[in-house]
Amino acid sequence: MTALSAPRSLSRASWSTQVAQVARRWIVVSWRQPWGLFISLLQPIVWIVLFGQVFRSLGTLPGFGGDGYIGYLVPGVLMMTVLYSGAWAGTGYIDDMNSGVMDQLLSAPIGRSSIITGQLIQQLLLNLVQSGIVLVIGWLAGARFDGGVGGILLALAAATLLAATFCCLSVAVALLARSQVALIGISQVFVLPATFLSTTLMPAALLPDWVQSVATVNPLNWAVDIARTGLAGTEDWGAVGLHAVLLTALAALALLWAVRSIRSYQRSV
Amino acid sequence: MPSSPSPGLAIEVDALTKTYKAGRKPPVHALRGLTFSVAAGAVFGMLGPNGAGKSTTTKILTTLSRPTSGEARVLGLSVARDAAGVRRRVGYVSQGTSTDPLLTPTENLVMAARLRGATTTDSRTRAAALLGEFGLADASARPVGKLSGGMRRRLDVAAALTHRPQVLFLDEPTTGLDPEARAAMWAEIRRLSAEEALTVVLTTHYMEEADRLADELMIVDRGQKVVAGSSADLKAALNGDTLRVQLFEPRADVVRAAAATVPGLRDVVVEVNGTTGELVTRSDDASAAVGSVIAALDAAGVAFGAVAASRPTLDDVYLHYVGHTFGSASAEAATSSRTDAVLEHAQGEAA
Repeated sequence: MTALSAPRSLSRASWSTQVAQVARRWIVVSWRQPWGLFISLLQPIVWIVLFGQVFRSLGTLPGFGGDGYIGYLVPGVLMMTVLYSGAWAGTGYIDDMNSGVMDQLLSAPIGRSSIITGQLIQQLLLNLVQSGIVLVIGWLAGARFDGGVGGILLALAAATLLAATFCCLSVAVALLARSQVALIGISQVFVLPATFLSTTLMPAALLPDWVQSVATVNPLNWAVDIARTGLAGTEDWGAVGLHAVLLTALAALALLWAVRSIRSYQRSV
Repeated sequence: MPSSPSPGLAIEVDALTKTYKAGRKPPVHALRGLTFSVAAGAVFGMLGPNGAGKSTTTKILTTLSRPTSGEARVLGLSVARDAAGVRRRVGYVSQGTSTDPLLTPTENLVMAARLRGATTTDSRTRAAALLGEFGLADASARPVGKLSGGMRRRLDVAAALTHRPQVLFLDEPTTGLDPEARAAMWAEIRRLSAEEALTVVLTTHYMEEADRLADELMIVDRGQKVVAGSSADLKAALNGDTLRVQLFEPRADVVRAAAATVPGLRDVVVEVNGTTGELVTRSDDASAAVGSVIAALDAAGVAFGAVAASRPTLDDVYLHYVGHTFGSASAEAATSSRTDAVLEHAQGEAA
């Protein structure tokens, strides 16, 4: 009798085991590609160090708060980092679809939601590390966080909700488009306008009226507001609560869409 | 409602169709009413050129894809209504690699086993056993991306066996492998069939692979079953021998007319590819026909080279039922057109 001849098993892994195994795989893969984290941090460093220095004098204008422009910019760059990073989350699925790993996962007796949730957990952990590093870089560049630990945790929570939303949207687009080029193109169409149609780089008072109006319905702006007021210790808890609920609802819808996109992918293969 | 599997059958497929629709483009009919069954414990070969519908069939049977219509049951379970039950009982090796190149073989196998319900301890034990069985123990800690193509393919098969499936689907398992690695994979498939009582569904476009491994095989072309049976039976059903004549700068109509003057020839096919070509035909007595064919071609002014008579092969079976050679079908599928090769075909007896 060979080692293969053991009795056949018809057991099924629990959902949490499925999620943990998928997440573990993505975490190990990230750990073995540390340059990915390094590259993702180049952009926030450039924003904080170069953009912050070039536009330093803007900090003397009303609306930027007491920390000058760097202090104003850091919460925005924090959200830009997770937004841009999240928008790339779908590329892993395209690699999996092209290599055949996706088919292997889909032929296993596991829930489609566990495939999505497992990778989302890895992405959110990665975003937390990125966010922490961005805050450290901001602090070294001169930003101060008067909101203390509570404010930092609030900012990280907002970053996590925003990251979850855009990771799931990216995954859904990747599963539907099945093309790296299409994913990057679609991501850019949304990510860049979202950045400029918000208070990420400039206070609302200095933005044109129509941009201010658009910013009120921009999820990036909701997250930036939560982080900025949290880090400064000037939270308007009513606004924070409303934006947190909206971000949570958006993340849930995006997660649902990503899971359903697996079915669309399966219809096309 | 789940039904019991028919006695002795692992797979039952009835009138399966699959149509892909993409916007305003014309729909692609990948499967057109495919019906077949696979005996439990058999190695079943699905043979056909690229685009014939083999992989689509495999993906439906492994629940990766849904049929447009028709019914498919694996071990009595409907792939449409009890997909989870089917997944627990089958293993699948896709055309591409199905293991993560950044993980080690052990990590890949442990993950595959854990996803299928094994405990951590059992997963590690199982992974070690499989790596030993497939000759990968020495490479167990190296990243998969650094293994040879043959080793990666063996690992793909091992990953599909972590949960001890009852049916194993192998989709083009030896494509891209060198002859040595291909022979090793054939040996593994034979061993699995003999020692593990697995039902193996093997998809291939290699005639030799199907001939050597499959107990039963089905030739598929353009989404339809052409013929099914054992390789020996299919070849035996073609009475007589095959005659092949290499042609230079041939004109198909001239060659066909020449062949028509030789009594006893049937299934005459003239394939022209640029400045060369081939006459393939069948005869009850090839040795007697060789002289007549040479004389007829000479008389018609056709330039020819090697003349060979042989017992029927699977390619001849394919030629007999489909009307053109397997090689030309593969080339057509690869180029999606026949612009590079003019295929002239005359079915039936020429004489």
